[in-house]
Amino acid sequence: MAMTTSASTSKESILKLLETIIDPETGINIVDMGLIYEVTPSNEEVFIKMGMTSAACPMGDLIIEDMNRALSTIYVTPNKIDIEVTFNPPWEPSMMSEAARKEFGW
Amino acid sequence: MHSISRYRIPFVVPAMLCLAGGVLTGLVRAGTNLPEQLSFNAAIHSILVISGFFGTVIGLERAVATQRLWPYLAPLFSGLAGLALLLALDLTVVSLLFTLGSLCFVLASIHVYKKHPATHAMVLLLAAALWLIGNSLWLLQGTFWTSIPYGLSFLVLTIAGERLELTRFLPPKPFSKIFFIAIVFLIIVGTILSGFNGFIHNTWLGIGYAALAIWLLRFDIARRTIRQSGVTRFVAVCLLSGYAWLLVGGLLLTDLITLGVFQRDAGIHSIALGFIFTMVIGHAPIIFPAVMRVPIPFSIIFYIPLLLIELGVSLRLCAAFLSSTTLREAGAVVNAVAILAFILCLLWQVRLGVRSIKNPHD
Repeated sequence: MAMTTSASTSKESILKLLETIIDPETGINIVDMGLIYEVTPSNEEVFIKMGMTSAACPMGDLIIEDMNRALSTIYVTPNKIDIEVTFNPPWEPSMMSEAARKEFGW
Repeated sequence: MHSISRYRIPFVVPAMLCLAGGVLTGLVRAGTNLPEQLSFNAAIHSILVISGFFGTVIGLERAVATQRLWPYLAPLFSGLAGLALLLALDLTVVSLLFTLGSLCFVLASIHVYKKHPATHAMVLLLAAALWLIGNSLWLLQGTFWTSIPYGLSFLVLTIAGERLELTRFLPPKPFSKIFFIAIVFLIIVGTILSGFNGFIHNTWLGIGYAALAIWLLRFDIARRTIRQSGVTRFVAVCLLSGYAWLLVGGLLLTDLITLGVFQRDAGIHSIALGFIFTMVIGHAPIIFPAVMRVPIPFSIIFYIPLLLIELGVSLRLCAAFLSSTTLREAGAVVNAVAILAFILCLLWQVRLGVRSIKNPHD
């Protein structure tokens, strides 16, 4: 059974997919926000380590669900997408992309 | 694919019933004649709204954020308390349930703080503690008027903590954090003083709220995000208008201004509706999907309840200036219509969202 589609499983292509997920409060995608700490892809599975800006935010599950949906275009088998949320290290503004920082006036 | 979180519906239902009860009791307090079957004891209005509705939905939101089961005890207890209040059960039972709910909420907030020990998380914890203190005082003293400023500050500081968290996206401004901490301290002191005098004289609390409003208008991320479009702009519009009403409400709560008999009414509702409920309207398209796991496509129809809230609170402000019973009642009716419009907009967009789950290729 094919675990992936023929689409590229490169880190860049995965990040491109994740850039489609927008935080509605800020209007910035989760990659530019600096929430994606680590992406380890292979042809069979992908491991993503990410942060959240706040432990009190209820959006975590929704964001992960959106990520799973986006990544299912590459990884057709759901249990091959492993997403870990961590607060170590805690998110900080320096993790944002240059584009995001410019948007917020840095 | 999104799936509706049906097990969270039992927490939402009591909250919505409390909101309905809060609207009806608010109309009665403003002098509107309602059918006898809809005329609840108007004295429970503030408790229904602050603890029954807001307390339960915030408790549910915090439970979802913790991704644990036990924090759901918070909205469970406060939802039951709200139902007990609507059923006119013994107020000792009601205050005990609210105390238990707010205790669970404090524990959930401690869990959040330990996960990410940041200033904003501490503010959220302090806000939760105020709610617990207010409910505990009610339980011990047998009267809930002392608890109202604690409940109001619980809501105001919860929003403040969440907004502080988002200001981290912006370059830090000198002394902004120190000012914020000082304002939080002032609000806490003002809350305690207001509690002591039964929410009659609230100058320090009002100054604290007004100062917070100025801080938010100056430093909040909404000043930037209003330039965006769609739901992001909508949230920013709600936030900035809400901060203006927090400023107005804070000033009206002080003894520095002397208007007519409806001054305090206008002040409380500027804060409760103009600020707090506007936050709910603004964030509903974001938080409701996160909590109930059903997508809500944003639509400009959400501006309708926002504009109605603005109109209703403005009428109450005019009532304060003119000591007009008619304007006060008109404001209450318009606000009731605004809340109904908000519920209808939400349900309409939920319908579209559910349809998108069932027919993803449409």
